[in-house]
Amino acid sequence: MKILKSSIILSLLIMVLYACSTEPEVDTVKPEIDLNISGAFPVNCDTLYFGEPYVIKAKLTDNVELGSYNIDIHNNFDHHAHTTEVLSCDDLEPIKETTNPYVFIEDFTIPEGRNEYTTNLDFTIPSTDNDGNEYQDGDYHFHINVTDKQGWSVQKGLSIKIKRR
Amino acid sequence: MLTVTAAAQSSFSLFGVVTDVNEEALSGATIIIHPLQKGTSTNELGEFQFTKLPKGLYSVTVSYVGFNSVEDSVFIDRDTEYNIQLEPTELLLEEVLVSYNLAEEAKREQTLNVEVVNEQFLKENLGGSLMKSLDRLPGVSTIDIGSGHSKPVIRGLGFNRVVVVENGIKHEGQQWGADHGLEIDQYAIDHLEVIKGPASLQYGSDAIAGVVHVQQNKVPEKYSLTGRADLTGKTNNNLIGASFLIEGRKDWLYGKLQTTILDYGDYRVPTDSVDIYSFRAPLSNQLLRNTAGYDRNFHLGLGILKSGFHSKFYVSSINSKSGFFANAHGLEPRNVNTDLHDASSRDNYYPYQKVNHTKVINTSSWVTGDLRLTSNLGFQHNLREEHSEYVSHGFMPPMFPDTMSFDSDLERGFEKYIYSGNLEAEYDLSGNTSITGGLNSEFQNNKIDGFGFIIPAFKQFTMGAFAIAKRSVSERSILQFGLRFDHGNISIKEYYDWFQSPVNDEGTETEYLLRAQALDRNFSNFSWSLGYNINPDHWLIKMNVGKSFRMPIAKELAANGVNYHHFSYEVGDPDLSAEESYQLDAGLEYSRDKFTVGVTPFLNYFPNYIYLNPTPEHDRLYGNGNQVYEYTQSEVFRYGGEIHSHFQVTQNWQLGFMGEYVYSKQLSGIKKGFTLPFSPPASALLNMKFVQPAFRSLQNLYASIDLKLVASQTNIVPPEEPTDGYTSVNLGLGGEIPFGKQAISVTMQIQNVLNEKYFNHTSYYRLINVPEPGRNFVLNITIPFKSEL
Repeated sequence: MKILKSSIILSLLIMVLYACSTEPEVDTVKPEIDLNISGAFPVNCDTLYFGEPYVIKAKLTDNVELGSYNIDIHNNFDHHAHTTEVLSCDDLEPIKETTNPYVFIEDFTIPEGRNEYTTNLDFTIPSTDNDGNEYQDGDYHFHINVTDKQGWSVQKGLSIKIKRR
Repeated sequence: MLTVTAAAQSSFSLFGVVTDVNEEALSGATIIIHPLQKGTSTNELGEFQFTKLPKGLYSVTVSYVGFNSVEDSVFIDRDTEYNIQLEPTELLLEEVLVSYNLAEEAKREQTLNVEVVNEQFLKENLGGSLMKSLDRLPGVSTIDIGSGHSKPVIRGLGFNRVVVVENGIKHEGQQWGADHGLEIDQYAIDHLEVIKGPASLQYGSDAIAGVVHVQQNKVPEKYSLTGRADLTGKTNNNLIGASFLIEGRKDWLYGKLQTTILDYGDYRVPTDSVDIYSFRAPLSNQLLRNTAGYDRNFHLGLGILKSGFHSKFYVSSINSKSGFFANAHGLEPRNVNTDLHDASSRDNYYPYQKVNHTKVINTSSWVTGDLRLTSNLGFQHNLREEHSEYVSHGFMPPMFPDTMSFDSDLERGFEKYIYSGNLEAEYDLSGNTSITGGLNSEFQNNKIDGFGFIIPAFKQFTMGAFAIAKRSVSERSILQFGLRFDHGNISIKEYYDWFQSPVNDEGTETEYLLRAQALDRNFSNFSWSLGYNINPDHWLIKMNVGKSFRMPIAKELAANGVNYHHFSYEVGDPDLSAEESYQLDAGLEYSRDKFTVGVTPFLNYFPNYIYLNPTPEHDRLYGNGNQVYEYTQSEVFRYGGEIHSHFQVTQNWQLGFMGEYVYSKQLSGIKKGFTLPFSPPASALLNMKFVQPAFRSLQNLYASIDLKLVASQTNIVPPEEPTDGYTSVNLGLGGEIPFGKQAISVTMQIQNVLNEKYFNHTSYYRLINVPEPGRNFVLNITIPFKSEL
């Protein structure tokens, strides 16, 4: 009986002590996307043109090691909001119906062992789809998603315009 | 009352008849003798018998629903006849009187920690679902999605680690999915037990964290016809509901019919917009768009109660339809047609789910002498369909072809047929030792349907045999040891896409891609458990050490698809091993007349815990570039416990305190040092209750206040966010109004009185920043009736 009681109390004590001991270091820091570097592209409210070559440039950093990144472009003809936009662009076109919007979703690798990486991605928006139909111009959202090796992820959404010259 | 027959032997029997004041036999009455901790129930003639009792002074407790319990002492030095009459309690409202002794008995006899719940508890704490109502119990929490779907979590472990058993048969739904609630009607429960701790021994694979055992085990009184109507209203989601029960018994035949109908609208959260990752979804009138739904449940019971034989059929059909929060479903957070969705808070558009669960169970038991045999046979059919607008992704055709075998709006369909059979025998070896042995088997056939793939079709067969020996080592202590062997086979069917994808860079060659390989795996495992409990004066002390295991489920082995609720892409691992768990449980309780305090700590070690790990990769082929999550295994150490105390301050005032804490840490693998996903934060519940047995013509009045204090959770693992702590206040008020010979029972609750905006770390919607429901008034009225048959 006594032994039982004291062993329970002892194990409780050990638990409490263990709980109070210092936590081991784990990576709880998410990666970051920096668009304030010189030559960053695109930035909020930029206008891109169909058929013209661009270089996507963003600085990605993490406290330990970066994972991969992903770019997603989709239309904003309905004026939906994204919380990561620093400021909204004040010259949005009127809301319009979606018929043949341009969509781009692609995943890109980051070399192993990097905690800092600046993208240097050649990028051209085709003017028409495979069937030769013209994509709609207007307001779009440009999203960058970045992960780190631990699986933390961050997103950055920008308002852009895609136009035809 | 006591007659004696002479004998000269070393062990004796105690036998007799339990009747009511009119000398009518009461069958199903419970008789417990202390300190041997033996219990039995009376047969159809009201008879009971204990054999092989050593000489001594015993305390006998006789209880029966609707009657005052009697506690008596009996000295046994020969075979003794003991007959007793029970007096009815003034109210014949059977449902409020699940025997306190039974609950206490379960606590004393089990070496694991058990929480026992009756209908009254469920009514006073009525939540959006059964598990939400049980959330108040120490060590029990839920993983929620929406207002009416919650999964049980015991001490931080959920999904397939908690077994739900209904009338002896393991409930098999789609418990692997976070959005899949439990298909159990909380209005049709007589008795419920939550076993905290590894219980694979009796329940087989999956019972690693514990068991929720639901029973519809009440036998009506002889020649009675009783029933009740339950009416429920809730303001948060404008729920209206009703449940009607009628049950009766002739001599040895009894039956029961029950139907429950609930209808609810979108539920309200105290916020005007929700930030789903980087997307802000505005809400109209703080209503969570498209979360309305309904439940339609039917139950039929039929039983035969003869001397030494009891057999019961239980048939139920649980049907529901409910919407998913429209902005947070699919491939990405999206803009939806708010005009359509917000026009009415009671309608469902896409996306929504429909669930149908049918169950047929037979439970039979035979008692002859020292042997008790129980068999459970079950058939279940679970059909779950998730509907949403067809959205082409990956290389799906832009327009849905009309040649497919499924409808264009069927995102996913899961259909499951389950056949179960259990056989259990309990034998009294001598006055202080009993042996229970049993066999369990289950076969499942799972089919899938729809345009969105996540898990393949599979068949699964499991079989196990166990033996448990229980011995009263002294007058006040019990030692229990059990061993079990299980074998399981899972056979996964290969799955090819229903559409072609390009396989070369030019996109000229296309193929139906293989998404899940055929897989056939066998798992065998031993489980064991050793427990001891001792009940010296005022104390209840238990220790249990045991090993449990769990076969990996189809999703963990073979998932390969988009999780439309979480904007992630989930991938299984066909090489996972069976999860094993070693756990040490203790329980220490001290009680005096007016005061009880107890702690129930545990230590737990998993050599290979299976969890879903977010990787740095993004999916290219099928999603919208969603992040890839993979099932993986790691070594995990956990500990924690609960504390509960209860103080009867005066005759009218009660104070209660409950607290729970769980700590988990991964000891190996890519997430070494991290906790486990969905780790509940520490929490405490302070309760103050005022009871007034009678006031004017009203009876059993109570008013209570619950103050729930939840700590912040900063111990997180990707993709979780730290969650702030919060305080929430719930009020309860109720009583009974005499109504003929019966009483109408009224319970009222105000949940989240302050309409506080707070997040529940273990809610699936936490990941998309949806706060917990706002203020909610809940009213439940129970109108009983009783007549002779």
